[in-house]
Amino acid sequence: MGKEIIFSAHGICKAFGPTRALIDVDFSIYRGEVHGLIGENGSGKSTFSSIAAGAQSLDSGTFTLKGQPYSPKNMVDAQNHGIGMIVQEQGTIGSISVASNIFTGRMKENSKFGFLSMKQLNEKAQIILNNIGAGDINASLLTSSLNFEDRKIVEIARVMVADPDVLIVDETTTALAMKGRKILYNLIEKFKSENKAVIFISHDLNELIEICDRVTVLRDGRIIDTLEGDNISEDNMRRLMVGRELDGHYFRNDYICSYDDEIVLEAKQITYGPFTNLDLQLHKGEILGITGLSECGMHELGKVLFGIEKTITGSVTIPAKNVEIKNPTIAIKNRIGYLSKDRDRESIILNASIKDNIELPCMDKLKGPLGFISTKSERKLAREQIEVLQIKCRNSEQLLTELSGGNKQKVVFSKWLACDSDVLILDCATRGIDVGVKAAIYRLLEDLKSKGKSVILISEELPEMIGMSDRMLIMQNGKITAEFKRSPELKEEDIIKYMI
Amino acid sequence: MQDIVHETGLDIDEMLNRKAKRRELLMTFLPFCGLALTVIILSVVTKGLLLKPENLVNIMNQCFTTAIVSLGAAFVYAHGGIDFSVGASCGVAQMVCIFLVSSKGLPLPIGMLAAIVIGVTCALIVGMASYWLHLQPFVVSLCVRSACAGILIAGTNALGKNIRVPLEIFGIFNNDTVKIITLVILIAITWYLFEKTSVGKTEKAIGGNRTTTWQSGLPIGRNILYAYLIMGICVGIAAVFQMSRAGMVTSNSGIGIEFNILIALALGGFPMSGGASAKIRSMLVGALTITFLTNGLIIAGLAMEYVNIVKGLLFITVIAVSYDRTNLKQVVFM
Ligand SMILES: Nc1ncnc2c1ncn2[C@@H]1O[C@H](COP(=O)(O)OP(=O)(O)OP(=O)(O)O)[C@@H](O)[C@H]1O
Ligand SMILES: [Mg+2]
Repeated sequence: MGKEIIFSAHGICKAFGPTRALIDVDFSIYRGEVHGLIGENGSGKSTFSSIAAGAQSLDSGTFTLKGQPYSPKNMVDAQNHGIGMIVQEQGTIGSISVASNIFTGRMKENSKFGFLSMKQLNEKAQIILNNIGAGDINASLLTSSLNFEDRKIVEIARVMVADPDVLIVDETTTALAMKGRKILYNLIEKFKSENKAVIFISHDLNELIEICDRVTVLRDGRIIDTLEGDNISEDNMRRLMVGRELDGHYFRNDYICSYDDEIVLEAKQITYGPFTNLDLQLHKGEILGITGLSECGMHELGKVLFGIEKTITGSVTIPAKNVEIKNPTIAIKNRIGYLSKDRDRESIILNASIKDNIELPCMDKLKGPLGFISTKSERKLAREQIEVLQIKCRNSEQLLTELSGGNKQKVVFSKWLACDSDVLILDCATRGIDVGVKAAIYRLLEDLKSKGKSVILISEELPEMIGMSDRMLIMQNGKITAEFKRSPELKEEDIIKYMI
Repeated sequence: MQDIVHETGLDIDEMLNRKAKRRELLMTFLPFCGLALTVIILSVVTKGLLLKPENLVNIMNQCFTTAIVSLGAAFVYAHGGIDFSVGASCGVAQMVCIFLVSSKGLPLPIGMLAAIVIGVTCALIVGMASYWLHLQPFVVSLCVRSACAGILIAGTNALGKNIRVPLEIFGIFNNDTVKIITLVILIAITWYLFEKTSVGKTEKAIGGNRTTTWQSGLPIGRNILYAYLIMGICVGIAAVFQMSRAGMVTSNSGIGIEFNILIALALGGFPMSGGASAKIRSMLVGALTITFLTNGLIIAGLAMEYVNIVKGLLFITVIAVSYDRTNLKQVVFM
């Protein structure tokens, strides 16, 4: 074909204990190509890419990079050879500056006689940030002062330090806001035009169709097929990933905006961070979407509604019970659940088992006489959830560190399903979850709605918003700029107008 | 063809499964192996003296204090807390108890209650200061420790240096049967709380991720105080037994318990920063190991000062070997 292969893998195998994450994987990518890597949660995408990027070792198999055999010792070594990766998990350290994060592992090269000039480091980091179009992030700031989305941009900058030839992007887009996505897409364009290569992992099929030249499908650690050109279609990808035809609808298939008049959660004149004197009402049996750009205040709104952050004025109440939501404990007592966007830092305990994580908010429910919580009841609770959300794991005792990104997300979701919440506040709930399970979650939400429970969906994913919500609030700069009722005519363009 | 692939696949799965199980078993039993190894080596070194019945009774007695305090300390260390004041507060508890019973002639139960109150107060000070004032529990506990040590010295001086503990009153606490029953009951209670109720589960959750625990509706402050409360009670109980065994209270009473706990923690495989893998069992195995070690080395003729040096080195070695650095590595290389 006359195209030059820049990077290839031959017979890669990797096992974690009894789990075989990769089985005999062959893979190759050309110069100037954007190559998608897709598969269900836990199919081995992150494992493959992190081995290629030197973050993990392999059991057997070889890599070839630019015609040379390649076996990275660690991530810095991989970067020096020309492979850089943006990881799926949160990979920045909060307690040091943005510049230090960008140059982690490379401090030695940047110091003279053992001294490190912070000023120089900051300047260098700022140049990199400016180059990728994120000049609004100040390199000398403490990383923990940045929001979740900007921290991800810092990781993009970090990869660019070594100027890689092959860039691996693992499930990054869903963690980014609109601004960050633009940065990433521009970067990918640039790689293409410079005749470099990008391995792109995502669960967003439309995104994949748009930017990928070829798409390789993994299932249970094996390569199933590689799609090219017109064959890269939603149907094909879905079928290959899941291994069977997916039938039924994806989002809701009704277009009726329906809910009870009863108000189950009400915010009156609340003020926090980006928003002031905001009002909001959630009705029984309603799926309420809240969307906008990431900085618009919707994430903060979710936190205030759940009592994590305190409002300065006004209050969040449950009118029927006349209780004010002042902290998460009160919220959960009144059967409200909240799923945070920052999963690893706020929603899960990484070094604990699936069972330990799921039972956290509902220990009261498990208690017998004398506060006794039996292992049997714990396991039963976890097993039910593992089944409902198809969590890929060995058993309920497996640690969360050992789960794939999407499966961790499922565990968080099941935490709130297990404790039978009446109101669910979901901040980017389906982040990193594969299409099959996403559809299952949408069915679950419909089911909850029909049982008279209420859901708040906070997300930037407009298709999901339009597809699922009864009512939609659009936010911009801390204000609600528009409200839409569910209707078949509603288009993304109508909404975007009110976001920017 | 298809079948062959399948079969070999299963074989590999089987093999990996066995391997993983073996590793898991090894990790669980490693502390036990450490204990066995300590006992074997030291009984050889001491030419069998270590395992003589009289010495075993000795060891049981010596282990008793460490074991009881470590049962309570498990709750504190499980949530990522630390307390360096337990030794000193145990000493003060002993002094107050003997003062009330001997000098004031108050009944024994009052003395016991006082010991527990002292233990709980000191522990709660550490707990509250670290939670509400956002101070490092380590620092606070050092301050409390220093204050307690001062009180103990001043107090014992005022009461006549070596205060005799009247055995006609305290004799019951130096009875082996009573001790064994107490220990069994305490293990049962703490094990139940730690592994089977929301108290222990919450402590471990806090150790794993504080923010997550709070956002899951579990009150952090209250649970941190529970942990220190439980530990304080254990310190008080240990105090009464220790003074009865020693037969007197001096400015040295209680000294070194905190360090023994720390080594027990490390030797037993209790995670230093708490979390889900914390087990009561680990504390007990660790307490036994450290007692055998101390006792054995002393029988072997090593002076106490050297024993402490050995303990210190051992602690660093165990931490260096067992500390989970996987996270660190990732951070550095990323
Ligand atoms: N450290 C580990 N220990 C044990 N098992 C692991 C570990 N890391 C990954 N696994 C297992 O390997 C398999 C592949 O995981 P991987 O993270 O590669 O999935 P993925 O394709 O990236 O999924 P996702 O879309 O959810 O990110 C999963 O079954 C996972 O449970
Ligand atoms: Mg992944």
